[in-house]
Amino acid sequence: MTELKSTCWVAAIYIGVALLVSSANAEDKGEPFRPVVGKFPPLEEALSYRGELVFVDHANRRGSIRVQGEGTYFRNAPHPFAMLPYGIVRFHGAPADLRDIPLGTVLHFRAFLPPDPQTSAVPVLPVDSRKKNSGYSGAGIYPAENHILLLEDEPSYCQRTGQAWKLIGVDIKDNAGMIVASRETKADGDGQANEESMTFDAATRIWRGRECLGVEDLIAEGIWPAIGKKTLEGQSVLLGITWKPTPDGVFTRFHISDIWLDKTAMQRAARSQTETHKTFIRGRWMPAWVDAVEYGKFGRATVTATLFGGMDDSLYADFKKDVSAMMNGVENTLKHTGGNYGPAHMASRGSILEVTKADGEPPLGSSGIQIRLETDLIIEGIRPGRVVRIRPANWPQVNLPREEFIGDGSDPEDRFPTPAIFPKY
Amino acid sequence: MTQLKSTCWVLAIYLGLILLANTVKAQGEDEPFRPEAGKFPPLEKAHSYRGELVFVDHANRRGSIRVEGTGKFYRNDPHPFAMLPYGIVRYHGAPADLRDVPLGTVMHVQAFLPPEPKISSVPVLPVNNKDKDAGHYRGTGIFPAENHVQLLEDEPSFCLREGMVWKLKEVELQNNAGKILASREPKAGGDGSFKEEGLTFDAATRIWRGRERIRVADLVAEEAWPASGKKQLGGQAVLLGITWKPAPGDGLSGAFTQFHISDIWLDDESIEYADQFQTETHKSYIRSRWMPAWVDAVEYGKFGRATVTATLFGGMDSSLYKDFRKGVSAQMNGAENTLKHAAGHYGPSHVSSSGKILDITRATGDIPVGSSGLQIQFETDLIIEGVRPGRVVRVRPESWPKMQIPREEYLFENSPEDRFPTPDIFPKY
Repeated sequence: MTELKSTCWVAAIYIGVALLVSSANAEDKGEPFRPVVGKFPPLEEALSYRGELVFVDHANRRGSIRVQGEGTYFRNAPHPFAMLPYGIVRFHGAPADLRDIPLGTVLHFRAFLPPDPQTSAVPVLPVDSRKKNSGYSGAGIYPAENHILLLEDEPSYCQRTGQAWKLIGVDIKDNAGMIVASRETKADGDGQANEESMTFDAATRIWRGRECLGVEDLIAEGIWPAIGKKTLEGQSVLLGITWKPTPDGVFTRFHISDIWLDKTAMQRAARSQTETHKTFIRGRWMPAWVDAVEYGKFGRATVTATLFGGMDDSLYADFKKDVSAMMNGVENTLKHTGGNYGPAHMASRGSILEVTKADGEPPLGSSGIQIRLETDLIIEGIRPGRVVRIRPANWPQVNLPREEFIGDGSDPEDRFPTPAIFPKY
Repeated sequence: MTQLKSTCWVLAIYLGLILLANTVKAQGEDEPFRPEAGKFPPLEKAHSYRGELVFVDHANRRGSIRVEGTGKFYRNDPHPFAMLPYGIVRYHGAPADLRDVPLGTVMHVQAFLPPEPKISSVPVLPVNNKDKDAGHYRGTGIFPAENHVQLLEDEPSFCLREGMVWKLKEVELQNNAGKILASREPKAGGDGSFKEEGLTFDAATRIWRGRERIRVADLVAEEAWPASGKKQLGGQAVLLGITWKPAPGDGLSGAFTQFHISDIWLDDESIEYADQFQTETHKSYIRSRWMPAWVDAVEYGKFGRATVTATLFGGMDSSLYKDFRKGVSAQMNGAENTLKHAAGHYGPSHVSSSGKILDITRATGDIPVGSSGLQIQFETDLIIEGVRPGRVVRVRPESWPKMQIPREEYLFENSPEDRFPTPDIFPKY
């Protein structure tokens, strides 16, 4: 009898453990992926979509886009998004801030579910939102994956993925009309890619070397006809894409804002944007993640931090062993904490003890560069998992505008902006 | 005694009346000017200021600007503003929408008190706010109550309208960045006595020459500017695009306000190109959103028939006004003060009044800013609710394309917040 009891207990425990394990496995498989603090999420887990930039709140690194779905595009209400703290913006093939992108630009997104729904700066939606049908708008226009790892305009996307637009033909009247083109791999496009019709008009900018031309200039040079159709034989270009209202019956049709006819023209655009962003980052400091803090005595500490990625190389080159530096706590919006007297007033000061570069390709969002900074006065915001900003000594010491820093930190809304700003349609 | 009493009473009543009359008169005189529905306010009554565009809610024609005051510019909180329905935006010397102006651009503003404080889409402030010291080293003038804008223009637009140019005196540079000393002066006949301003530039500054877009490095390569050091520029006349960036020394060494040069137009041809691109952008925008106008009068006929007299708003390219001709078919839809179309998922054409333009007249004399001076008479066989005297409408002549506009640019079920957006969107610092 005792033996039977023991056997029953063993069996019960075995079944219980088996059920527990299988339930845990199910959870592992069923739980949707969310980025976690301290880890850069793998790009392949991101949801991809594209759409028109409709609204920007650059100070809080968020905005709205009209996501391209299956239905009538004009009906799609602006969809709020927030940049992840390590999220990267690219414009004209160069690093950018949200403020650099003109409203109306069509962008490519790689996005995740909110890492921490409770503090999301944009509305939190059901995880299967992207599959839901929104009437005439179709499915896919309100993805719950609204926290962005990578946001890039069309030429940035094409250059990253090694693609270009091949122009098939143009149909023109009164300096406006339609271009048929296909986005193909630059090297060996086989002409099998999907053709897309896009509008252009007299405001479309055409970049050739240093020149900025209009459609009428191409006509004057006899390159495009004044009226009628012309085959363009797969001419390889890069396009800037926007959206404008379309006549009834057209579900989704994009508009060409810019055409870069050659490599020089695109490189010059990238150079200008790079310089804009370099000045921006030097003024706002390099964002990074705190990996570890070793505390010493009397406020002394050594902080290990990974610099965020996506910046121009020349900025990273300023992080050198033994240079003086400052480190300040920031929020997930990358807003500096504490004050009217500029970030330098509150930041921890110290020296960079070491700079290491990880082997291999770092995950998107990371630079792969880790620094160790020693300070004699560690401040509150610098803790493992928190975001900081760092200024090497050779960057200018400037004061930031009011909307780019947090007051005294006593207002939770300042630290964690709520989604209340976004209209409900 | 009775006579004395009567005399006293008469005197008292007389004195009382005089006091009352004086009070009413004083109130009338002291009452600050506010625009009224149906009248374009005179620009000379506007309060002028300038500042950096910081935030834009283009669908509601409002935003925030960091206003230049007497103190440290970087400390100035973004100041909300709303465009008046007939308010004009100009960028690169051409008509524009708020969405066309890049964040960071320094704009010239001519603004009024809210015409109707109760429905203001931006915070309503005490009328004397522009005279108050905002404290914290910000000085006065940074939060004017005059936040309803009649004219908003970037630097080249302002200069072109005023007949001014920037005369470059000296450049000092190193590593493709530095400072330019310049003064804004009349294009012709400046006597050189205008105040010089030090403006920064850097490797991202765009320099426009004819069709070319060049950089500081190109000017250095051409030896027009030195690679490092100073050079006198002899008052070279240019137009400048101006922005603001945090600069070292702000508040530390006394550089209270220092602006940054985003663009330099070296010649007339280059700014004409920029103007042309922006004009074409705006033409296509207005054709799809329709021409805004004010209803002056409605004469009602039978069975929903009516003749509407409306004044087209100003500031558009002249080619757009030419499409309003006697005898052409047209559509008229109700709009709000934000210029948002009333009603609809099916596009403004679906609900608007259709009809014909019976007549078009051009006012003589000075046309106030905000008005085109063009009045149309439009006859429809089905007048809709939004088309009433004093209300804003949008009008489409038949030659303009019939487009579906995006969701944020029209009202759906006419919820009060949709029609009259509240100032809640603006953060309180």
